[in-house]
Amino acid sequence: MAEKQAKKELTVKKLRDKGVKPREEVIEMAKEQRKIIKQISECLKAGPKTIPEIAFEINMPVGIVAWYVLTMFKYGQVEPGEEIDGYYKYKLVAKGGGK
Amino acid sequence: MKYDVLVIGGGIAGIEASLTLGDAGFEVLLVEKDPSIGGHMIQLSKVFPTTDCAGCITTPKMAAAASHPKVHLMTYSEVKEVQKTGKEFRVKVLKKPRYVEEDLCIGCGRCEEVCPVLVPREFDYGIVGRKAVYIPFEMAVPKKAVLDLEHCMMCGRCERACPKDAINFLQEPEEVEITVKAIIVATGYNLFPPERKKEYSYTGNLTLIHTNLNPNIIHAMQMERLLAPSRPYHALLRPGDGKVPERVAWVLCTGSRDKSLGNPLCSRVCCMYSVKQALLYTSAIPFGEAAIYYMDIRAFGKGFEEFYTMVRDLGVYFIRGKVARIESRNGNPVVIVEDTETGEIREDEYDMVVLSVGLLSNPELSEILGIDTNSYGFYVPPDENANPVATKVDGIFVAGTATCPKDIPDTVAEAAAAAAQCIAYLKEVGT
Repeated sequence: MAEKQAKKELTVKKLRDKGVKPREEVIEMAKEQRKIIKQISECLKAGPKTIPEIAFEINMPVGIVAWYVLTMFKYGQVEPGEEIDGYYKYKLVAKGGGK
Repeated sequence: MKYDVLVIGGGIAGIEASLTLGDAGFEVLLVEKDPSIGGHMIQLSKVFPTTDCAGCITTPKMAAAASHPKVHLMTYSEVKEVQKTGKEFRVKVLKKPRYVEEDLCIGCGRCEEVCPVLVPREFDYGIVGRKAVYIPFEMAVPKKAVLDLEHCMMCGRCERACPKDAINFLQEPEEVEITVKAIIVATGYNLFPPERKKEYSYTGNLTLIHTNLNPNIIHAMQMERLLAPSRPYHALLRPGDGKVPERVAWVLCTGSRDKSLGNPLCSRVCCMYSVKQALLYTSAIPFGEAAIYYMDIRAFGKGFEEFYTMVRDLGVYFIRGKVARIESRNGNPVVIVEDTETGEIREDEYDMVVLSVGLLSNPELSEILGIDTNSYGFYVPPDENANPVATKVDGIFVAGTATCPKDIPDTVAEAAAAAAQCIAYLKEVGT
């Protein structure tokens, strides 16, 4: 097992050792993405909400929130519930219940 | 490595030509620049005018190509050099690094689950995200992950999660030299980039936070993804806020028949795919209202006129006029147009507007192959009428939308014609 772990870490570490580093923009982007997903998840802990309701609550453009919520749906992190006036309410999927 | 034929392009034309040649007993190498074969057709919802499922037609052909004993796939690879020596072509193909060992990857997607970076997903034209390491799409052939090093944090989570030790950050581009007797070029088309039509306010990147553009103005391939059985969302929703769109408009000739954008050509498919999308939309949202803004409806193919008439009779509105611009009101797109049948200037508000974008040429291999293109970049045969699949180079044939915009039946027929011509040529030069 230890040997397998060592082998698994080898290629990414070797590439880093060669001086290849991730781009700064990617690291910043990933941080921003984590923050947005956390905000959406925290917001949904209080109960199911539509995309505009989430956007209003976390004070973020609705187009951006839509992209993240629908991507979270793709990865099984949220699921749609009832539809009201053309908008679905989304709720968090319990851990282990994703796709 | 030696093959009888090199087929360049793994869309429906390239797959069809490869299968025809393989069935005739020739060794075929099919080279595709993307990580999977399937081309544009695998992204479509249904085909017109029959409304048959596009994926149901394409997927078996993709699988047949992958399992055919005479057809060899080389995906995520690009042709870089072609030299004709006597009766043979010496070809250099660049195999791009996937950073995933193809023979080890089982397509389980564990790497994708743990990856922390989101990137607009190419297969869905950005309306949803993918990870930096990802399976291109559910029906991908080969169904192998690919790691996008440009967007990778190099955290190593994917490598630790892979149950088959398939992730390999040390992969390098590999140049492969092959020899073939003939080549079929099936490199397809490029979609007109709708952001070039500034008046229509299309936003190319839905993840941009600071934008004045309206994410509810999408292009036709994005609409195909929204309508497809393999769609990224759980229902037909508009990308801007997840609303079920109750009013949708299509704007024809976006980037076609437009001299101001350098493309005066008709793209030949936009009228019919828009009519098809309007039908599929009203089937998905029975109370939905669909309108098509057009200059002329060109329903020239077999069954097209009947299809158009049926959709019009089902209640889709057809408004004649070239749309001047699209603005936004309360998040909704507003189409501004002169109705040329009444002379009225209209301002029509919709939940979503679909830009029916045209087909542009993809001439990037013309210099490498030494074959001619017309002023629009489409490959031109020396005699368009007598032999539309030939080129000025003996042994190189063309098929599909590489020569001009065309629909799927014409593309498939032309691919079979190119394969037949190729077989005749191979018999002539001796195999």
